[in-house]
Amino acid sequence: MSSLTSSGKHCRTPRGVAAFEHYYVGIDSLDQICNKEDRVCVLNIAGGESRTVTPVSHVYSGGNIVCGTMPGRSGTTMKTNAGDIPIYSNVAEAMEAGHEFNVAVVYVPPSGVKDSVIEAVRVNPGIDKVIILTEKVPLSDSRIIRQYCQQQGVDVFGANCLGIADAHKHIRIGGALGGNAPEESLVPGSIALFSNSGNFTTTIATYMLTAGWGTTVSVSSGKDVYIHFAAPEFTHAFHNDDRSKGAVMYIEPGGYYEHDIELKKPVVACIVGRWKAKLTRACGHAGAIAGAGDNAEAKEKWFMDKFGVDEIYTPENPVVSAKGAVVINIAHIPEALTAVMALNEVQPDFEPRGDLSLKPWFASDMEIGLPAELDAPLVTAMEPYNQQIAALLEQVGVVFPRQTLKDASGASMMDPKTQVSRLQGVSVLDASTHTFEENLVLSLAREYPDANGAALANVILNAYVNQANEITVAAADAAREAGNSPNTVLASAVAIVGPNKVAGAKAAAEAFKDLFGQSGLSNPADETFDISAIVDKAASGSAAEALLAESATARSEGMLAAIKERGVSSVFIRTLEALAERTGKAIAEDAITAAAAAHLIWKPLMHKRVSVTTLTNMPWHLRVFSTLIGSAAPGDQQQPGSFCGISDQELMNEWSFTETAYLALLGTKPTEEELFSLSILLGLLTTNGPGTISGQGAKGAVSADGPEVPERVQVNKSYIGFLTHTGFAHGGNGFEAMAFLMQQFKESGLKNPGDPNHGLDLATMALNYAKEYKAYKTKAKAAGDLSYAKIPCINHPVFKGKDVNYDPREVFVNDLIKEKGQYNIFLDYYHNMVEALAKTGVSKNVYCVNVDAVIAVILLKMLWQPYAEGKVSERQLESAAFTVFLFGRMIGSAAEIDDHTNRGRNMDTRTPASKVSYVG
Amino acid sequence: MQITGMLWGSKLLEYVDFPRAEILGPEATTDEIQAMLDKWGLLLVKPVFKGGIGKKGKAGLIGFAKDLDTAIAEKERLYFAKHSHGNSVAKSEGVTFESGIPAEYEIYVSITDSTVYRAPTLTITHHGGVDIEELPEDKIATVPFDPLTGLKGFVISNTLRQLGAPNEIISPLVQNLPKLWDLYHNYGMNMLELNPIRMMPNAKGRLVPVACDFKCSFDTDDPNWKRLKLPANLDAGELCAYELEVNQLRTYQGQSDVFVTNDKGTVTAMTFGGGANALVTELLGDVGIISSDFGGNPPYEKMYEISRITYKHWLAQSNVLFIIGGKANNTDIYETFRAMADALRDHLNETGLKPLYVVIGRGGPNLIRGMGYMKDALDGMKIPYRMFGFDSSMSAVVNYAKDVDDWMEHKGGKAAIAKAMGVDSDSKTAA
Repeated sequence: MSSLTSSGKHCRTPRGVAAFEHYYVGIDSLDQICNKEDRVCVLNIAGGESRTVTPVSHVYSGGNIVCGTMPGRSGTTMKTNAGDIPIYSNVAEAMEAGHEFNVAVVYVPPSGVKDSVIEAVRVNPGIDKVIILTEKVPLSDSRIIRQYCQQQGVDVFGANCLGIADAHKHIRIGGALGGNAPEESLVPGSIALFSNSGNFTTTIATYMLTAGWGTTVSVSSGKDVYIHFAAPEFTHAFHNDDRSKGAVMYIEPGGYYEHDIELKKPVVACIVGRWKAKLTRACGHAGAIAGAGDNAEAKEKWFMDKFGVDEIYTPENPVVSAKGAVVINIAHIPEALTAVMALNEVQPDFEPRGDLSLKPWFASDMEIGLPAELDAPLVTAMEPYNQQIAALLEQVGVVFPRQTLKDASGASMMDPKTQVSRLQGVSVLDASTHTFEENLVLSLAREYPDANGAALANVILNAYVNQANEITVAAADAAREAGNSPNTVLASAVAIVGPNKVAGAKAAAEAFKDLFGQSGLSNPADETFDISAIVDKAASGSAAEALLAESATARSEGMLAAIKERGVSSVFIRTLEALAERTGKAIAEDAITAAAAAHLIWKPLMHKRVSVTTLTNMPWHLRVFSTLIGSAAPGDQQQPGSFCGISDQELMNEWSFTETAYLALLGTKPTEEELFSLSILLGLLTTNGPGTISGQGAKGAVSADGPEVPERVQVNKSYIGFLTHTGFAHGGNGFEAMAFLMQQFKESGLKNPGDPNHGLDLATMALNYAKEYKAYKTKAKAAGDLSYAKIPCINHPVFKGKDVNYDPREVFVNDLIKEKGQYNIFLDYYHNMVEALAKTGVSKNVYCVNVDAVIAVILLKMLWQPYAEGKVSERQLESAAFTVFLFGRMIGSAAEIDDHTNRGRNMDTRTPASKVSYVG
Repeated sequence: MQITGMLWGSKLLEYVDFPRAEILGPEATTDEIQAMLDKWGLLLVKPVFKGGIGKKGKAGLIGFAKDLDTAIAEKERLYFAKHSHGNSVAKSEGVTFESGIPAEYEIYVSITDSTVYRAPTLTITHHGGVDIEELPEDKIATVPFDPLTGLKGFVISNTLRQLGAPNEIISPLVQNLPKLWDLYHNYGMNMLELNPIRMMPNAKGRLVPVACDFKCSFDTDDPNWKRLKLPANLDAGELCAYELEVNQLRTYQGQSDVFVTNDKGTVTAMTFGGGANALVTELLGDVGIISSDFGGNPPYEKMYEISRITYKHWLAQSNVLFIIGGKANNTDIYETFRAMADALRDHLNETGLKPLYVVIGRGGPNLIRGMGYMKDALDGMKIPYRMFGFDSSMSAVVNYAKDVDDWMEHKGGKAAIAKAMGVDSDSKTAA
């Protein structure tokens, strides 16, 4: 081993362990690697990985972490069961606060690792150990870290390691050895463990238990090109540790670290990765790429020579010496270890715990007739996993882990590349091919209903759309008359749908969960499902109270009649009917809503895609949906028994909720073409991801109620949060494009925008406008006015730069429209216009027509005739455009509200004080 | 990312002003080639390979030309030349014309990081131009140096003296070789080799080191090499479409290392952890399609994307979807399993169900919740499965997956599963 200088002279490193002449090593024995006296500072303590690992380490080690650092988090703490850990902006600040520590644990992202290590060691001369957990540290930084820490007399572990642990002392420093339950794997014993793989450090420790071996010290070395605490250092310290009678070393190809070590105590070496000789670049561990001299076979040979054996150990061919054995499969380690130690007259530390045989914890064969040798029977898992499995099998629905959901969502996402958002995994483009009611169900159930489910949804949603007998209608009218925007109007009505309004339906939903949760019902439309036992149970228990009423109401009778009329098959409705017949009572109105909710959500609930909270809140959501659509129609259109001139019963019996939404908006029944257009529109408007203002409003409202106690979250208030976070700029701006188009077609005499034989010369119209716009733009620019009016809904920051540009979302919808054989003159005009703009030199290339234009042209097409005939004013058009946006966005908001209720934390949307600024 | 040859090597050496042979690319005109011949009298014609290809000289892949006709003939011979080296077979995509450098001495120089010294190391000999493995030990020197100060002239001077190098070459090398450290350290390389550097006399008779061949590889974890603005397709020969797609997801939280081991395989193994990667790939052998390491606690979004891409490329041909890892320390099993299950459901929703068996072996935080989520998803799709806890030997679980694959592929298992799932046994998800 040479020094680091070229001259052959030793460099001036601090004095460390004498056995290492040419470089610094501070640890003489494994007994010194983790000390009770060690005090730790964790760098980037509040980062994603540390946040879960550090509290466990702190508690396991008896509270050895004195502080952490995280830029901008000074003054905060990390809470743990062993006390809070104070957080500072940097190491210097922690030192100034009086903290003393000798270990730095580094969780900093790779680009910052080198500087963090140097800074920590520079500021705190007391540091003697640095443990780097970070993966993907550049090689150029590793070589600097190595040399700097050598000069400063610091032992470095990693990078890309999981730290060190001493099972006897109950200490782990650095990473997550032993996972979130360290005691399970870190069982005190007599074997030292050294592993190039972090995961295998724990896995091998667990395997060793099956032969009765526990550990002294576990070292996860990492397997980058630079391994700072490597096999030579481990071996030396192992020899000097009296507790360690033997060692297991898990070694991968690449590097010469093990080549020259001399072993004085028994060792089992596990060398894995022969296939890696085929690699032309690293896969897995960065340092596990080898040349001819340091590949797996070469390393097997190194160790076989050290042990004086000539073959690999396998259970069939157990080749060992007292010095050790070489295995190439980690499953053979326990057995090989026992054999080697026996030759040294050392017996296992304790009775074997478990075994490594195949033990399926979950299995499903779907009656495929597996051959006997593959038909491994289910076994009861070990403690405490068996209890968890039992609880899981009993549990109805999913229980999501809670997390901070500021700017994050489990319901929606936006792909920044395609600009296409997805709701519950469905792209808004696909959503636009589904009906309004289907998308509403999707928002909560996370999957679309079948035709039977959609029919049931239509009954329930239409049953409550007429607000005539409700105070909501007065609230909405009063708000409308006061000049409020549509979102404010609807919010006024939704405020009335408070928890007391839905308490009965929620209780009924809960009753269905109790009755059917363990019944084995998988398909709620299953006509053959035997309900007799459930009816017995309901009749004799408290469920009857929630499900039955003394007398029927007009609405309950109407709903049941509509369900029959539409031929809906539902186990839940069938149960209600049987229960009513058995008891001689009437079915409660709320119970029908709850039955519909349970029906719509049952499959995802049983597949644990949604929670019980979603089931019990669903009636509330359904009620809000109906109220919001119903309140969009003025009060004078709503009479007892009829809504916008259509009887309530007809709505329930025949109308889809999409048709009803159109009716509420425009006062007429839509044609098939209009219905199709509205569905497209509502689907496209569903969501724009969790960052959208409306989504933020909904999530903030949930967050403020404290979703960790989900019963306290006011669902209707959360919709108000969504509604108040829309406005003339967000939601109302679709009108901009409509106003632009109305201007262009005002004098055109256009009668029917859906008629391709409209007789207008769109190309010339567009060219004329482009010329006009060019003149205007030139003039404005000459006058120094850079805020001249831009043409709405063309061009896009992502879909640009080609000779001819398209917004793929617009293309998708345009194709849909064409497939249906429909025509939209406004969209046609838009395409003519982008070409004209390029022709006249206003734009360098043909801009895309973006998806917002699609929304405007569809809407304008719907509204053109009443507008042209003077039946609706521009203001009403603007209001209608805004309201359509609210209808569509209600779908996405429902999903965000439910998702945040299930997953979010209390007040998690707040911005920390350190991240806000004063601009006064 | 590896670069071989002077076509790009010359450009990199230009960054640090290291003297190099004149070079013309594949697009060179006959006039340019003739001009080079007029100036140098000799030129070398070399094929252009992507990635790291060595020992071209031995394979007869270097042409020498003293006249235009020979140069053109060599160009035709080598333009699409094939070259087998180790496990890789490369096909040339063009040729370079490089000036023949008259020289008495040929130098071999390389810089790499040595695991013996745990430091950057210079390897040098003035008996270069040959395979250095063939040289006796006393004719070549390997010396570590301090990365904090870098490769300095005195390191080179001392080493060359120890080797007994002639005085006339020492000074020019001391002046020029330190420039290579700048290229190596500051642009994210993990290997740099110039062989040969030919010591060419200049007009005054003083020797100048001229790089005549170039090889380097970059550390993929080091963003510094991106500053070189090398074309994205330079390395494309090494990566298949799947690897390229997954590589785009490389961020520091969560590994996304993949390597296609057999694109005709029948088991898709989603492997977690570097150790599991080594073990599982080895045991699966030829039935495995990919070698992967997705450990390091990837967040849901990343795991979903990785799964989506993996399924898109490989599920169609797979009998077994195999999810395997040890007892995770920090990877959240619930989050990763949820992502894999959701991606599987979305993929099959899009492409239709196909006969598939899922084998899982895993341990770690939130294990049962993760397995429970997967169970519900698979039950929903009627896909059969076995899930093993971490108390089952990983190698036994791998063998179980192989046995299931064998049963499906050769013993009618695929048809049995197809029947139970209610799908056509030949149905495959779209690739």
